[in-house]
Amino acid sequence: MDVKTLSKITKWMESTDLEEVTWKNGGDKISLKVNNTPEPHSKFSSSVVTVSAPSIGVFRFARPGKANAVKQGMTVKKGAELGVVEAAKEFKPVSAPVDGNLKIVSVEDGQTVEYGQPLFFIEPR
Amino acid sequence: MFKKILVANRGEIAIRVMRTLREMGIRSVAVYSEADRSCLHVREADEAVCIGPAVARESYLHIPAVISAAKVTGAEAIHPGYGFLSENPAFSAACESNGIVFIGPSPRAIDMLGHKASARKIAMKGGIPVTPGTKNCVTRDCLKEAEKIGFPIMIKAAAGGGGKGIRIVREKSALAHEFEMASSEAKSAFNNGDVYFEKYIEGPRHIEVQFARDSRGNAVAFPERDCSIQRRHQKLLEESPSPAVNQKLRERLEEAAVRLADTAEYVGVGTVEFLMDKERNFYFMEVNTRLQVEHPVTEAITRTDLVREQVLIAAGEKLSLSRNRASSFDGHAIEHRINAEDFTRNFAPSLGRVEEWVVPGGPGIRLDTHMYQGYKLPLYYDSMLAKLVVWGPDRAAAIARSRRALGEFRVGGLSTTIDVHRLIVDSPEFNAGDVDTGFMEKLLAPAAVKA
Repeated sequence: MDVKTLSKITKWMESTDLEEVTWKNGGDKISLKVNNTPEPHSKFSSSVVTVSAPSIGVFRFARPGKANAVKQGMTVKKGAELGVVEAAKEFKPVSAPVDGNLKIVSVEDGQTVEYGQPLFFIEPR
Repeated sequence: MFKKILVANRGEIAIRVMRTLREMGIRSVAVYSEADRSCLHVREADEAVCIGPAVARESYLHIPAVISAAKVTGAEAIHPGYGFLSENPAFSAACESNGIVFIGPSPRAIDMLGHKASARKIAMKGGIPVTPGTKNCVTRDCLKEAEKIGFPIMIKAAAGGGGKGIRIVREKSALAHEFEMASSEAKSAFNNGDVYFEKYIEGPRHIEVQFARDSRGNAVAFPERDCSIQRRHQKLLEESPSPAVNQKLRERLEEAAVRLADTAEYVGVGTVEFLMDKERNFYFMEVNTRLQVEHPVTEAITRTDLVREQVLIAAGEKLSLSRNRASSFDGHAIEHRINAEDFTRNFAPSLGRVEEWVVPGGPGIRLDTHMYQGYKLPLYYDSMLAKLVVWGPDRAAAIARSRRALGEFRVGGLSTTIDVHRLIVDSPEFNAGDVDTGFMEKLLAPAAVKA
């Protein structure tokens, strides 16, 4: 097999999600294997910014004694507190990383959240 | 009894603990970092929660995250496994103040026995022989202190462990320099620069005794484990019973362990480590207040489940074993630690994907592992892939079984320590049971020359 054919096959493999290919032609045989394991954080392009939980715990829109001011569709300023995660008696603030429009609220008050769980999606301005 | 327990660990030890929990009808909660989503312990648990990023400091070692995970999942107790938070008195205290049972000793006991200089004092109080050494931490007059013991001496970090923070000084001219080095090393590694001196015993064996004590004061000890096969103070192969210990000595070792547990009013399972010299004098070295990696060799010859005893003790129940039952044993067991390391390159960690994973089986084989074909090793954690434990009716049969099992074990995609274990089981010294803690260095010397 010449290099040209080989590179054609590998090119084609890259365009698929196959992990292993065996090519046979008469007495010639070649097996190819690629490592297609996706990275743990597969990057996808999106204009929306995700705000995720800073800790495992219980999510609250407001600290105790305060009223909830967060509404879907509202405008938020960078650094504005969108809520807190209560973890082992500590309150970890969840704040907006950018100025923008609070497009989606995907958490409810009092909900248990894991580290890294998406809570809000903001469309930057 | 508990209904739900959180396992604050990862990999093979988390799975090992969950297996017992399942047998006891207790639900298990796994915690994991972002790098461990595909780790097997996450799938083996009844529930799993992500507690932080890949860096252990912000996930497995982050006390508020682990406590919070137990709170939100409603776990009543936490099993810490080994490593990570297992010997951290602050974690044991945090569990207590949050109304969660820590499956391990009290913060006070961890503090007392985990700090080596204070553990020595307790051992001496219990009448257990200790290596000649300084009673307290050495801050000045090092030469006077060293000469009182007699060279060669060891300088040890008071807060050390896992073989870290130990320096050997053979003559007095090297003392001042080594002392400086040891205390600055201890300061940076353990955030505690305290060091103490101990007599260095030439060609010792590492003998340790597992003990357990419940809250009602019942204490038991198990037959000794021999962990002399180490590389740079890291254990590689462990066996039980020791080929160098006879029944009379065994009874004395067990007696010492029970006395230590009683003196410290210890509640939980623990291990006391001894050094044994060529004349079979044994000296107290340190106490580990956690379950140890090598606990399965004890389980194999005594047909017990040490995790189950830990859970029973933590629940305030009685040990399920009598003193006699714990010390009676049958046959011989060997544990091989299979690490992702390339021994031809000075045991450098080997990274990558497990392309092939064909494991040994059949009579007398136990394999504790979190590996599967296609698993990609995260680079953040330790390199142990599996513990291969073999049991045989006697030592020769166990070694034959080890040789057979190591031959069946095939791992592709990574370098492992399987080949080192083959070298060990084929060596005449190991077969004769004639090894000390310097054995690996001698065994690998010719291999290093070849590489």
